[in-house]
Amino acid sequence: MAYGIKRGVRFQILSESDLDRIHWGTLHVLEKVGVQVDSVACRKLLKDNGCDVDEKTRIVRVPSHLVEWALEKKKSSITLAGRNPKYDAKLDLNHSYMTANGNGAVAVDFETGKRRPSMKKDVVNSSRIIDYLQNVHIHWPMVSSTDQHPSTMHLHDLDASMNNTEKHIMYETGVTISDAKSLTEMGYIAAGGEKEFRQRPVQSCLQCTYAPLQHDAGVMDASLYFAEMGVPLVFFGMPQPGATGPATLVGSLVVGNAEVLSALTMTQLHAPGAAVIYGMGNAPLDMRTTIRAGGSPEHALSSAMATELAHHYGMPSCVGVSATAKQPGDQAILEYYTGCAGPLLAGADLMCGIGLLEDSSCLFYEQIVIDNEIVGVISRLIRGEWADDVTLALDVIEKVGVGKNYLAQKHTVQHLRSGDHFMPELIDRRSFDSWSADGSKSLVDKARDKTKWILANHKVPALDSDTQAKVNAVIEKAKKPMWGGETKRA
Amino acid sequence: MADAVARLKEAVMNYEMETIADLAKQALKDGVDPLVAIEKGLAEGIKTVGEKFGRGEIFLPELVMGAEAMKAALAVLEPAVPKGKHRSTAGKVLIGTVQDDIHEIGKNLVSTMLASNGFEVVDLGVNVSGSDFLKKADEQKANIVAMSALMTTTMPRMAEVITPLKKKSKAVKVMVGGAPVTDTYAKEIGADGYSGDASSAVEVAKRLVR
Ligand code: B12
Repeated sequence: MAYGIKRGVRFQILSESDLDRIHWGTLHVLEKVGVQVDSVACRKLLKDNGCDVDEKTRIVRVPSHLVEWALEKKKSSITLAGRNPKYDAKLDLNHSYMTANGNGAVAVDFETGKRRPSMKKDVVNSSRIIDYLQNVHIHWPMVSSTDQHPSTMHLHDLDASMNNTEKHIMYETGVTISDAKSLTEMGYIAAGGEKEFRQRPVQSCLQCTYAPLQHDAGVMDASLYFAEMGVPLVFFGMPQPGATGPATLVGSLVVGNAEVLSALTMTQLHAPGAAVIYGMGNAPLDMRTTIRAGGSPEHALSSAMATELAHHYGMPSCVGVSATAKQPGDQAILEYYTGCAGPLLAGADLMCGIGLLEDSSCLFYEQIVIDNEIVGVISRLIRGEWADDVTLALDVIEKVGVGKNYLAQKHTVQHLRSGDHFMPELIDRRSFDSWSADGSKSLVDKARDKTKWILANHKVPALDSDTQAKVNAVIEKAKKPMWGGETKRA
Repeated sequence: MADAVARLKEAVMNYEMETIADLAKQALKDGVDPLVAIEKGLAEGIKTVGEKFGRGEIFLPELVMGAEAMKAALAVLEPAVPKGKHRSTAGKVLIGTVQDDIHEIGKNLVSTMLASNGFEVVDLGVNVSGSDFLKKADEQKANIVAMSALMTTTMPRMAEVITPLKKKSKAVKVMVGGAPVTDTYAKEIGADGYSGDASSAVEVAKRLVR
């Protein structure tokens, strides 16, 4: 069976003409309003290719033909390879893959229940949990190793991930060229060399554009480097409707689209044919609490519409999912269900991601396990149904006849085995009596039990000592006094 | 005269961003004391708006529009305040997002909330270097230096400012915030105050200048 979620059902929000209007609107914004480009290298690239560049305001107006050119250079089919090839995620516009959420700074200790800064051991443990779970296909270092030296935290995140999952690893910590260099080097080491990495990129980087209509210098300089070195990129717009984008979801989609397409243009000018994934995560700012409303219906819809737009361009999408809940349980489930269902129904290729609360900030190990079940349920919803000789089952209906049942039929067993009936692991369908005899456990209790089991039993082959030594050397080399003087600003 | 002041208060409460400057000009022409206009008009108006927001009666954009209206009128009235006199404010706050960090939404909200609670706010923007914080704190004679950091990698930048700042002056207070920042961390680096959201930031600031 192919890796990833098979999609047989798709709902449509925007019509072809809506998508065209969004595209033309975006080109209009890029030509008329422009984007602020803080990277000197990027401004030069754009200027040399006929853009109108104002060095004082750093605003660049990008002509439509250049954007259209870049869209032609893009790749439609990208494979995010796993350390173990059985985990290769083929972004072919026909399968969906769930990723872990990433880079929180807080964790709730699984043993003590104490809320504390996240540590490298949290990256280790969450990586093993992700490796085990069936419905999470791409890994992210879920939290930061804040117990490590600040200049190498992100490298420790990657080290812990590489050692504890065989799935593809996406990070979002390449925000300066020197970060990008260390991260790329670790990727090459993981793959066994540059050539091997270029063939099977086992790591990739997500980069945020800076809403509204700006590009950070460090992020873009690093992106050009990644593109050159064959590290697949996601450019991820995230205007917050009402705050850093128009309140209308489509308006914010235009702002985010202008950011993503201009980033794509710079990248393709620098490294034609580079693997770029179309990313977007527009959650509104909640106008009563001033918290970003991750997991809201608007977030889900925006992610779904961004997927439609990406596919309109022939690009795979990577769209946002999150939750504002403070603890695992009812609210987290409601938010993650909403957040995942929207984009999955619209055919998202990648969704980032599950398992963190407080809008991508706080890790509870058991939430990863709960979200795995949520994705399982939705995967069943979107698998698709069809009528053929097997599913119509006329022969079985004839055989069983009137007034009997289908329990003793091979057809029944076959279709239980093939996943026609979703078999939950956490949802409890037992009778009241057996449920209460077993301790009246809530879904969260059961998720904790399963988490404990995974941590006790699931082993992931660590890197061999040779590879590990090379990784350690990269980390050691990158260590520098915090205020070593590197500033990203041009 | 009292009418003109009441009218300014009302204009803030009605978010009359485009027309309030004309009202302020007219008030000055009519001989209204600019200090009274600011303190009894604008400040009272924005206070009411802030309270409504606190009670959940209005949404954030309405609060921001109220603050914008106040700013527009202040730009007219402040220069007219006689030399040597000062409008009484709750205190002067210098705020910015630290170096290498471009997250600005939280910082902007804290600015707005402080301004609507009577603080004079000087916003340095994002990616503000340590030396800029130090230089401006000195220049502006701020009571409070407020720093925002949204990333684990940029949090230590706050400590970089606090140490020399405190060395120079005992009087200036520091408050910090941003999603990854915790109360414990704030204490560790020697900040005087921390808050997890914009509304409590006001309480913290008030406590610090008391
Ligand atoms: C929106 C967002 C962005 C936007 C910012 C747009 C803008 N114009 O500001 C964009 C897309 C540009 C962005 C970019 C990046 N981001 Co970002 N971003 C976020 C996100 C989702 C929400 C932040 C936000 O606006 N929240 C809403 C506001 C209102 O809340 P707030 O900022 O927390 O502020 C409140 C309080 O904290 C407090 N407060 C804030 N400041 C202060 C100051 C004082 C003095 C006080 C008292 C209180 C206070 O009051 C505020 C109001 O209630 C967070 C995740 C999160 N939920 O926090 C990630 C997050 C902060 N980003 C993250 C990352 C990694 C990045 C990038 C590096 C990604 C990339 N590879 O490009 C870049 C950063 C580049 C750089 N050099 O800075 C990570 C940081 C990870 C870590 N462990 O450090 C986070 C945590 C997401 C994640 N889990 O991955 N991001």
